[in-house]
Amino acid sequence: MLDGGIGTEILRRGYTWASHQLKTEPELNLEIHQDYINAGADVITTNTFQLSKRSFRNHFANDKHLAAMGASGLLDRAGELIHESVALADKARSSLGRSNTPIAASITTLEWCFRPDRNPDVEKIYDEYLEELTDYADAGADIFLFETFNSTPEAEVAIKAAKELKMPAWVAFVPYQDGRLLGGQTMAEVVDAMARNEPDVLFLNCAPPEHITAGLEQLAPLWDKPLGVYAHVGKFNPPEWQFTDDYNAEKYLQECKHWHDLGATVIGGCCGTTPEYIKKLTEFFSQ
Amino acid sequence: MNYNAIREKLSAGRAVLLDGGIGTEVTRRGIRWRQHGIEDAPDTIRDIHRDYLNAGVDILTTHTFNLTKRNFINFFRDGEHMELIGATGLPSKAVELCSSAVTLAKEALTETGKAETVPLAGSISPVMHVFRPDLSPPGNDCLAHHRECAEILSSCGVDLIFFEGMNNTREAEAALEAASGFDLPVWMSFVPGTDGNLLNGESLHSAADLARSKGAEAVLVSAGSMPMITKSLPNIINGSPSGAKAVIGRYSPPSWKPDFYPRFENIEEVSPENYAREAQGWLDQGVQIIGGSSGTTPEHIRAVREIIT
Repeated sequence: MLDGGIGTEILRRGYTWASHQLKTEPELNLEIHQDYINAGADVITTNTFQLSKRSFRNHFANDKHLAAMGASGLLDRAGELIHESVALADKARSSLGRSNTPIAASITTLEWCFRPDRNPDVEKIYDEYLEELTDYADAGADIFLFETFNSTPEAEVAIKAAKELKMPAWVAFVPYQDGRLLGGQTMAEVVDAMARNEPDVLFLNCAPPEHITAGLEQLAPLWDKPLGVYAHVGKFNPPEWQFTDDYNAEKYLQECKHWHDLGATVIGGCCGTTPEYIKKLTEFFSQ
Repeated sequence: MNYNAIREKLSAGRAVLLDGGIGTEVTRRGIRWRQHGIEDAPDTIRDIHRDYLNAGVDILTTHTFNLTKRNFINFFRDGEHMELIGATGLPSKAVELCSSAVTLAKEALTETGKAETVPLAGSISPVMHVFRPDLSPPGNDCLAHHRECAEILSSCGVDLIFFEGMNNTREAEAALEAASGFDLPVWMSFVPGTDGNLLNGESLHSAADLARSKGAEAVLVSAGSMPMITKSLPNIINGSPSGAKAVIGRYSPPSWKPDFYPRFENIEEVSPENYAREAQGWLDQGVQIIGGSSGTTPEHIRAVREIIT
């Protein structure tokens, strides 16, 4: 059992997520991790979605422009926040006597996750991944969770960097309503690429339950290694989230049962899910 | 309707005062940056406009920088993806917010008794991030985008179209063509890079010439630090109306938010008096239009008011 949404949980609890709130509201981060552990999560995830050096750099024309206009230390911020995020997750598990709960480092695409057209040149990003992953490894994360990837080539680079650091690599792709990846690849193409790279768990995530189902129906028959899912519930309302009651915890559980029947054995929640959802899932699946 | 007074001022060689940062004032006043603060805190937006009017601006600017349909759709793969996973009402959200933004500016003009004397400039930003000329789409795409923005602001009743922060000549040219059908005066500001040219490295001098030849009544530089603005000014001054708006403080984008986010740190390092002193230097160089970009506050604009008559 994974945890559920973190960024959306920060929003639901009344805060903006624009700066992740890692340094500004550490107690809030701590509470959310604790709530997920208490709800039964076997793995907790760092509050670092979209956090990378490139996220800051992307606001400037080039490094010279950044030096002239940017806040001091801007390029060090991602690394500092990554260390902070792992420390907070670690503090949460220790505070509940659950130091053996693994911490998954949440890492997404270098460019915006829902924009496959902006994906970077994969020949040039290995060092960037390695640097980012090294920060998590040094900070004490246990697993790399590459999530909300929209195509396999970038995921392959990420997995390669994870293997260099000799840490487990979990990879989650965004499916679309047609059962393909958001970037257009078929699940057969995904399986083909992943069979060569061997992630420890392969997931579908960050799509509404209907899209997850469409993708899983294609993927599950082709993949015989560990398979996972975590869907979002509600609607993306940039830069925030619209919480809806389309899939309450009970209805989400019904979807998860279906995904479990299709072959998913690692289950959690993406944007919009809360500790209540995870508790509901744990109560059922631990029986 | 009242833009003629501005035109006369400029022809007479007198200075014209614009407002300062609006987005950065919204965040500085503690408002959460979503939907530009327009839905959560309309009173604060109106207060900011009123503070600039009371500081003595000659033209008021709408709070519409970076407020376009594109800013919403950019978070999704495409329109269909937005329909499927986006919040209800997103496709029409930008138009509604722009309309509200113009209304708030007009209310401030009425409340201060300046509706007849201070024209309202409709601010239109680049299609993509103001500091990312590399993301600017092809000319036809820019043309359609800017035409739609000009259409919205024009139908809401602004008195002039102000393209702010253009960062490449192709988009600038498309924007001016897009605005040509609305029978409104058009101004354009360019973003300089550290070398005093356009942010994408093109000649600012050529860009300014092009803008004037395509109908821009005034050409400004904006969204650069004070040294960058000062360095770039000689490239736009040629006897026609030109202007300057500098940022103060350092741009501090958050760790999550892919588009421009109006947060600047250390703005206290440039006092209103220091900003006015810098502005005096720009006026001495021959600039006639002075305002402030991100980070500047009504106090900075008030200080500039005191040095120009």
